[in-house]
Amino acid sequence: MTWYSGEGGAVRLAGTVRGFVDDVSQVRRAWHWDTPRPRTWPERGAVVPAPASDLGWARQEPVRSLRYLIQHALLIPFTEVMAHPKVEGREWVRELERPVIFAANHSSHADTSLILHALTDRARDRTVVAAAADYWFKRPMLGNLVSLFLNTFPFSRTGGAQAQLHSSSVLLKSGWNLVLFPEGSRSPDGRIQEFKPGVGHLANETGTPVVPVHIRGAYQIMPRGQKLPLPGPARVRIGMPMAPELKEGSREFTARVEKAVRALAAEPRQTGIQGTWIERWRAGKPREPKYQG
Amino acid sequence: MPRPGAVIEVDRNTPPVLFHFGEGMRLERLPLGSRIVYPPDPLDPIAHPERAIKRALAKPLEDDPLKSLLRSGMKLTIAFDDLSLPLPPMAAPDVRQLVMEEVIDMAAEAGVEDLHIIAALGLHRRMTEDEIRHIVGERIFSTFWPDRLYQHDGEDPENNVYIGKTSEGEDVTLHRRAAESDLVVYVNLTLVPMDGGHKSMATGLASYRGIRAHHNVKTLLASRSYMNPPDSALHHSCMRQGQLIEDTVRVFHIETTVNNHAFPAIANFMQKRETDWTAQDQAMFLGMKQMTDLAPPAFKRNIFHAMRAPYGLTSVHAGQVDAVHDKTLEAVRAQLSVRVEGQTDIVTIGVPYLGPYNVNAPMNPVLVVCMGIGYLFNFYRNKPVLRKGGVLILTHPCRYEFDAVQHPSYIDFYDEVLADTTDPLEIEKKYELRFAEDPWFRQLYRKSHAYHGAHPFYAWYWAAHGMEHAGDIIIVGGDRDVVHRLGFKCATTLDDAFEMAEQTVGRYPSVTHMRMPPILLADVEA
Amino acid sequence: MLALTFHRSIPSFAIVKAAGGRPDVATSALSMLKLGDVSEPVLPAGWVRVMPTLSGICGSDLAAIGGHASLYLDPLTSYPFVPGHEVVGTLDDGSRVVVEPALGCKVRGIEPPCPRCAEGRPGLCYNVTEGPIEVGLQTGYCADTGGGWGEVLVAHPSQLHPVPSTLSDEAAVLIEPLACCVHAALRGGATKNDVVVVSGAGTIGLLTIAAIKLFTPPRRLIAIAKHPTQRDLARKLGADQVVAPADVFQRVRFATAARRLEGMNRSLLLGGADITFECVGSADSLNDTVRFTREGGTVVAVGMPGEEKVDWAPIWQRELTVMGAYAYGAEAKKKGKRTFELALEAAPELHLDELTGPYFGLGEYRDAIAYAMSAGRLGAVKVCFDLRGLRA
Repeated sequence: MTWYSGEGGAVRLAGTVRGFVDDVSQVRRAWHWDTPRPRTWPERGAVVPAPASDLGWARQEPVRSLRYLIQHALLIPFTEVMAHPKVEGREWVRELERPVIFAANHSSHADTSLILHALTDRARDRTVVAAAADYWFKRPMLGNLVSLFLNTFPFSRTGGAQAQLHSSSVLLKSGWNLVLFPEGSRSPDGRIQEFKPGVGHLANETGTPVVPVHIRGAYQIMPRGQKLPLPGPARVRIGMPMAPELKEGSREFTARVEKAVRALAAEPRQTGIQGTWIERWRAGKPREPKYQG
Repeated sequence: MPRPGAVIEVDRNTPPVLFHFGEGMRLERLPLGSRIVYPPDPLDPIAHPERAIKRALAKPLEDDPLKSLLRSGMKLTIAFDDLSLPLPPMAAPDVRQLVMEEVIDMAAEAGVEDLHIIAALGLHRRMTEDEIRHIVGERIFSTFWPDRLYQHDGEDPENNVYIGKTSEGEDVTLHRRAAESDLVVYVNLTLVPMDGGHKSMATGLASYRGIRAHHNVKTLLASRSYMNPPDSALHHSCMRQGQLIEDTVRVFHIETTVNNHAFPAIANFMQKRETDWTAQDQAMFLGMKQMTDLAPPAFKRNIFHAMRAPYGLTSVHAGQVDAVHDKTLEAVRAQLSVRVEGQTDIVTIGVPYLGPYNVNAPMNPVLVVCMGIGYLFNFYRNKPVLRKGGVLILTHPCRYEFDAVQHPSYIDFYDEVLADTTDPLEIEKKYELRFAEDPWFRQLYRKSHAYHGAHPFYAWYWAAHGMEHAGDIIIVGGDRDVVHRLGFKCATTLDDAFEMAEQTVGRYPSVTHMRMPPILLADVEA
Repeated sequence: MLALTFHRSIPSFAIVKAAGGRPDVATSALSMLKLGDVSEPVLPAGWVRVMPTLSGICGSDLAAIGGHASLYLDPLTSYPFVPGHEVVGTLDDGSRVVVEPALGCKVRGIEPPCPRCAEGRPGLCYNVTEGPIEVGLQTGYCADTGGGWGEVLVAHPSQLHPVPSTLSDEAAVLIEPLACCVHAALRGGATKNDVVVVSGAGTIGLLTIAAIKLFTPPRRLIAIAKHPTQRDLARKLGADQVVAPADVFQRVRFATAARRLEGMNRSLLLGGADITFECVGSADSLNDTVRFTREGGTVVAVGMPGEEKVDWAPIWQRELTVMGAYAYGAEAKKKGKRTFELALEAAPELHLDELTGPYFGLGEYRDAIAYAMSAGRLGAVKVCFDLRGLRA
């Protein structure tokens, strides 16, 4: 019996392998995995939120030290290379005495990295990022990995206000700064959308000042629907912290924050929102003098 | 107690002496009996700079304490010297940063809302953001850049005002913001006796029209030398302009001086006398020499221009301009002065890689002349170390290389003007205005990082006195074509140069080597 | 008679082209150029015989030999021809003449002449296929006339211009190129307010400088020259300034107080020279030229260009006038005087004999061609064949 007679094992094995390859390539060609699905399909995570886990592990040692290393070795250099961000108003966040809420416009996944890049080490170490529970934490692996990198925590954008805001206010009270995108989701076209009142509510509830932040250029780096970032210049402009006034409702305060962020988008410096030079100068004062005899 | 400067006579046991040679160096043996002039060792810096600055501001000379001059609602302008000082650039923090932070603190306390900070760069190039940040520090930069911290523009028709004429007919102009301020605080750094005093405002914030009044051949030939203000027509002219400025606007002058610790630890051997070189210094020299001999120029340049000098603050004075400047000059002389007895037939100087006008750029041939014959030759009081008609020997590779961004007008100056004539008076008459009014040079000066169109002329005029005084000028190791274009002689080795010089000054000439930098000021006695 | 002839052969052309026009290949046995005994050209009625004494090697001849010439010219030429159109020679009666090579209506005996010839521009004649001789733009590109690189050529009396006794043969051989350049200068029409650049300093470049200086003196005349001899000669012939090709933008910018911007590949000037005479014909020079000639300015192509890659965007955006300047005729700007007569009048004061040489016999044609191909580098301008020895 010769090996090519059609009865031997070698030929059969070859036939099997070939069949398998054919099958795979047929299936491979039949569906395009990267085509968008219609929005009408229910997304299960959105209807029934996953049981709330606030990912406490991510805010404890040694994860914090590990994150510090990861951020300094990967995230910050990468952001620097991709965007070379120009930061204005860093003096407001250099020496934060008490926790604040950073309220920024949201047009891209790059926003978070850009904000973290703009903060000082001290502030960054004590900052958590609110990430949409129904988007990031749909898959537990992804959620935890992102948490390790960016210190995110799940923030529901659909659920009841009181319950969900509770975990945020606990975080604020325990001394964490909170990065919040009050628009709720990434802007489809790069323009600033209407702010949702959660941010005002949270600030009112906890008496936390809100720092308006405007990010320009992130949309060009990685707009919605684009998978990989493209290099491009970005500017992060940080405004003067603002606190809710007495008797100011959360909606009014939210409107004020939204106005401030929109004003930061405009070109010239605005003393009202970014502070006079004297205020900025004082905010930038180093805690201890650098030079000693 | 640091050693004062010294003059050493070369004998059999004297080690060879270091010559700067652009972005490189040479070790040369001088003839027996030659003199080597060494600068004094760096003075001890002030231990607590902040305290000294606070004290100076609280107890100014012939003026009220700064605090009492500041009030809410006033227009305050701070002006500061640009990056042509000090050389090499100072390791952070720059003294100007420390002074300005104190002033700004006071202004913030007094609630002065309207505060502008202007880089007083005269007709020098605009600095880049990083260069400004280095001078003023991160905190000032992030608070004030770019709307309240900006650079002077001597060609801006809107923002320069004409103030008047001095008794000698010199036009005086000033930056509009400074002229309209209730108080101008000038933060100066005086490295050599030429800087500071009335010259700060009168050139730093002036337009071409104002600077022309004294940056010309006639004035510079009458300045013997401009490193010694009492004998300098340039400074007299600036003083007249400065007094007119003081009549127009209230000026509070702050001057600082630094010691001459010009080289960081890795280049320590450049700082030290050759007799003091340890084995480590010698190894360092050898390593550096090999590197500079082999490496391509651009690479060497990057290394050299990255050096930052560990200067230490030696004095800070504040108050009325003249009173402050007198004290400052005293402090500068205390650091730089070396007593030298008598003149000699030949003076040798090594020209280093850096001059005031080529920070972060190659030193082009015109700037070599400006640095060697303009600046280094002029570091004297009473009279030059070189006798009239003697021979000046410089060492520099003198390559044809220009920085197209910083020195566009220098290229045309070299190719068009020097090809025609090297006589400063003729050059001034025939060409200066054409360069100064060239629209493209004007635009590059205003919007890019280029020196003004007239600047190469000033660089050349600076050397006018030296060229007139010296009987012959020889550049050792220079590119032949370039050196001839400059109007000098070229030699391959120092010995060749001495032989050539003998034809001018006779046999067995006396030789003095000025071991600069670190800089020294030769106090020449009869 | 002994003559160099140029044959049309596609395999030879391919070989020469493949070798990139190297002189050793372009003059080898496989090339299109052959030296040999050929029959004298037939004398048409009313024509005369001219015995060349000196005959120049022109850039267009070298282009043809090296395979660089534009294929556009191929149908306008009849083969095999004897090259050589820069000719000074003697007639049978011994008088010295220069030959005006253009073969227009008058030469071909066509009545009435075509409109261009009637205007006095025989170089633009469209009857170049008619008459008693074969197709050809010029003597030296026509199978029936012979050419300067042979012992004898035939010419129509209207083609001949007597050489005054003050002008040596060595100078007279440059009358034909000088006439081209006079024509170019008059076409360019610089005024005394203009800054004029002449790019290239070969024979055409140098003579253009001289012609501009004589006929249309500008405010400033800048010459671009590569080699040291060329620089000296350019200055001698009247250039106010001579610059190296690498410094062109720097120098022209300064001379015209223009603005200079840096592009990814080349600089460009905002403003610049008013009129530029392009006497090289290479892509590099053309591309620079259209970038340093001012908006609305004029570029005159004098040197014979081939098929070159030129960026047309500057020509379009700057609204440049690009004009060719070919041959000669009668100059309307000089009251209809013939270009050759203008050139002959101008020649004595130019000391043209300094530009000619070295001289080669026809037998040394390989050396002559090789020498001419790198003339600039070797310090020569116009390399010539000396045919005086053939009759001695």
